[in-house]
Amino acid sequence: MAVATKAETPPSPPPPPPRLRRLVYRLRVLRHEPTAALGLILVVLLAYLVVAPLVAVLSDAFRVQYGDDVHAGQQAGEWTGYYLWRVLRSQISGLLFWEPLLNTLVIAVGTTLFALVIGGGMAWLVTRTNVPGRKWLAGALVVPYMLPSWTFSLAWLSLFKNERAGGQVGFLQAQGIRTPDWLAYGAMPIIITLGLHYYPFVLLLVGNALRRIDVQLEDSARILGAPRRTVVRRIVVPLMLPALSSAVLLVVGRVLGTFGTPYVLGLPADYRVLSTGLFQSIRDRSTGVASVLATVIVIIGVLIVFTDMRLMREHRRFVTVGGKGAMDRLGDLRRWRWPAFALGLLAFGVSVLVPILTLLLSTVTRTPMDLKTFTLDYWFAERLPGAVGFPHGVFRGAEMWEAAWNSLRVVGLASLICAVVGLLVGYVVVRGTAPKVAAFLRQVSFLPYLVPGIAFAAASLSLFAVARGPIPALYGTTFLLILVMAVTHLPYSSRSGIAAMTQLGVEPEEAAQIAGASWWQRMRRIIFPIQKGALVTGVVLPFISGLKELSIVIMLTTTGTQLLTTLSIGLVDYGYTQLANAVVLVIALVSFTMTYLTQRLTKSSLASGIGG
Amino acid sequence: MPNITLSGVAKSYGGGDYAVKNLDLTVPDGAFMCLLGPSGCGKTTTLRMIAGLEQPTSGTIAVDDRILDSVERGLYVPPEKRGMGLVFQNYALWPHLSVRENVEFGLRMRKVPAPERRAKAEAALRMVHVDAAMDRYPSQLSGGQQQRVALARMLAINPSVLLLDEPLSNLDARLRLEMRAELKRIHEESGATIVFVTHDQLEALTMATDIAVMNEGELQQLAAPMEMYARPANRFVAEFVGSPPMAIIDVVPPGGGRASTGLAASLTRFAESRVGPCAPAAVGVRPEALRLGTPPSGAGWREEAVVEAVLPAGSSWTVRLRVLDTELYAVSYTPVDAAPGDVLDCWTEQMHLFDADGIRIFSLDGAEVRA
Ligand SMILES: Nc1ncnc2c1ncn2[C@@H]1O[C@H](COP(=O)(O)OP(=O)(O)OP(=O)(O)O)[C@@H](O)[C@H]1O
Ligand SMILES: [Mg+2]
Repeated sequence: MAVATKAETPPSPPPPPPRLRRLVYRLRVLRHEPTAALGLILVVLLAYLVVAPLVAVLSDAFRVQYGDDVHAGQQAGEWTGYYLWRVLRSQISGLLFWEPLLNTLVIAVGTTLFALVIGGGMAWLVTRTNVPGRKWLAGALVVPYMLPSWTFSLAWLSLFKNERAGGQVGFLQAQGIRTPDWLAYGAMPIIITLGLHYYPFVLLLVGNALRRIDVQLEDSARILGAPRRTVVRRIVVPLMLPALSSAVLLVVGRVLGTFGTPYVLGLPADYRVLSTGLFQSIRDRSTGVASVLATVIVIIGVLIVFTDMRLMREHRRFVTVGGKGAMDRLGDLRRWRWPAFALGLLAFGVSVLVPILTLLLSTVTRTPMDLKTFTLDYWFAERLPGAVGFPHGVFRGAEMWEAAWNSLRVVGLASLICAVVGLLVGYVVVRGTAPKVAAFLRQVSFLPYLVPGIAFAAASLSLFAVARGPIPALYGTTFLLILVMAVTHLPYSSRSGIAAMTQLGVEPEEAAQIAGASWWQRMRRIIFPIQKGALVTGVVLPFISGLKELSIVIMLTTTGTQLLTTLSIGLVDYGYTQLANAVVLVIALVSFTMTYLTQRLTKSSLASGIGG
Repeated sequence: MPNITLSGVAKSYGGGDYAVKNLDLTVPDGAFMCLLGPSGCGKTTTLRMIAGLEQPTSGTIAVDDRILDSVERGLYVPPEKRGMGLVFQNYALWPHLSVRENVEFGLRMRKVPAPERRAKAEAALRMVHVDAAMDRYPSQLSGGQQQRVALARMLAINPSVLLLDEPLSNLDARLRLEMRAELKRIHEESGATIVFVTHDQLEALTMATDIAVMNEGELQQLAAPMEMYARPANRFVAEFVGSPPMAIIDVVPPGGGRASTGLAASLTRFAESRVGPCAPAAVGVRPEALRLGTPPSGAGWREEAVVEAVLPAGSSWTVRLRVLDTELYAVSYTPVDAAPGDVLDCWTEQMHLFDADGIRIFSLDGAEVRA
């Protein structure tokens, strides 16, 4: 063997071949590497489905819409500040914007405080004390989050509704106790019902954080002579701050985009928030105003999430690694153990049992809650006298079944698309042949997370309500519902797709490639089979959340495309309280059962589905 | 049987940095070549380029007359059509397939009929002694077994080029020895051309027919193992190959000029007395070439040394010495009867001289002078 010694001058990299040659080579490689093409397809798809609607709604906000040329004094299609002026500075802007904004803030703050108190308190009870039945409580107190968010508002109406809005009055009124408007509608009931829905959120986030705090940190402070109160103030609270701020911002973000509760409890008393205002503008066909409102909601949503990410980054340096002792030591409540348990039970009762039982009872009695008037008519009757729009029990006639079938179809397909696209995004990102493509996909697939669902739906309407180029008008089609539902759930599925693919790495696929497998064979025999589990969770989690979804779909459904959720709201509009309640119970039952089964089967925790 | 040629191959992952710079390398037909070098020197990158998993920024890669990559001529053969075998550093077994299915996969891709596939897979598994675990899943195997399955998966398709990326690095010492022997046997039986990546120089010296030492993306030397040991091309190879590493003493002191006292001066004087003036910039002595006691016949270089420490290591003894102004290590394979503070004679007949660029000028070995 000849000895090759190092050349006299060290080899510097040769000048790269001419650009054209490299391009030819590159294309040759790409021909065998569909990842690049796939990445490109995903980029176009996401740009169209995620970015384009936002651009469209922004442009609608600043362009004269058809029919508004007289008011705006400009030609339709011209750039204008008219809608901005109308929303922010005109005579009706108080009604259109400032009042709903204020109401939204009031509700956001109120709900957050409510959820913090209950959620934080319960989190402390179940993670740090020896309250009896803590395991059970920890699971039971999360149940409210598995119910559609406006379940509570319907239950509230069943209890407190007065004769101000049409339809059947609530339990108290039926007993002859007059319920004042402030108790039946408006800020207070909205705050309480939303708070009951969102406190599990705080419970999970804060509970996780509490579990991670190392008891030794507290112990060392105690040993150094700090009294218990000081320990809490100086050690525990600062360590909890990231979780708390995260919980606060997430709850605020959700409240900002929630539609059902403020619609059910606010509208009868003309109590408007931004989301219901947006809905009304769309319904009134004031597209320009709606676009401005949607833009405002988007901006607030983006600010909230950015603030959260900012805070998280700053707080990261606080992260402490839990020691072994973290779980073992629970504070002894001594004689307060049972009272504490009673408190937990009370929270469960108020947030789960009372609403569910109220709804159930209301659907089986003619006079609210009066068992002497027991009837199954609202569920099974062939004919319901007096109900013109829905003259039979919910299980009779086609409406409920059609809506259920639509829900299943739309949400099922959307979840499937979501899971597959999420996994493919993960695949392209991890293969990393084109870093720019990967970065784009990563960021854009996360974008819908920043945008409250109702605003995103409005944005999609801007883009898809009219025919544009080769794409026909999609308003009123199930296709649009599926698209929007899939896109809004994409952040979760693409994140989990990226996580799953990162964990797998590229080597299993490369090994298959070396073994002679073509791209399709690799996908079919290696990637998808290995990611089967991730794919199933990727379908099931969006499915559960999509089934309960109202804010996103409320503006996109028409009479032909009712879903269970919109059907229930429609029944509320008609004043058919019992029927609306019955439909919500059906949704609650399905979504609760599915969540429970999923947790059982996949051992995934609900927490991973919350807030990403 | 194929030989692999890389000519003018460079690879940049973007940015100005090159993971591999202008590599010219020929792996001869039937060779067992080790790519040896410190972490991050571009060994894996080179291997992956040969496999086709990574594309060079410039240059040509060919097996025999078949060009696999040529940026200049716009030619490319995808990995699945190269028909090579590759064992990944962490095995990359498919978790959802049983051991048997893992091994059969390549054959399935080649549309081999089922009975033959079965037979071939079993034969490959028998060869690496994991045929008993055939129906288990990768997660149910020990690290060593997984490694063997990865090997069997590659062998089942009977490729003529085998690429292995540090396949033994995760094994315990005993299993590693065993697998080294196994790999040598496989090499001899199949006659395949093997490229084997390692940063363990002992592994390279014991297994390879040829060693290519790389550093910072450049080929430093390509030679047979003992050749590499006896005539390291430059200071880097001299220090990297051999354990414990060669001591290299700079002749030019930091202040410039030429010292007339000290170890370096003493070694230089000796070398120049043998070959005439040669002005080396550094002189290297391997610890195992440095002997203690009186030299046999007054040949070689000798100097007095103070013993600073004696470190027994089972079969050998490492002695830390102070020779003139310099600390040196000597390795002895016979017991050393000395205590710290003792003064002994030390001597050697082997040394390597390097010029100012770090290139070896020549080596002395007894009476022999090797260019
Ligand atoms: N995908 C990549 N992107 C950017 N740089 C990379 C990539 N892969 C490797 N590098 C860089 O290229 C250089 C060579 O890497 P390579 O993996 O070939 O080293 P190695 O010799 O195999 O090292 P080790 O012994 O640690 O495995 C390193 O500096 C590494 O950081
Ligand atoms: Mg490597």
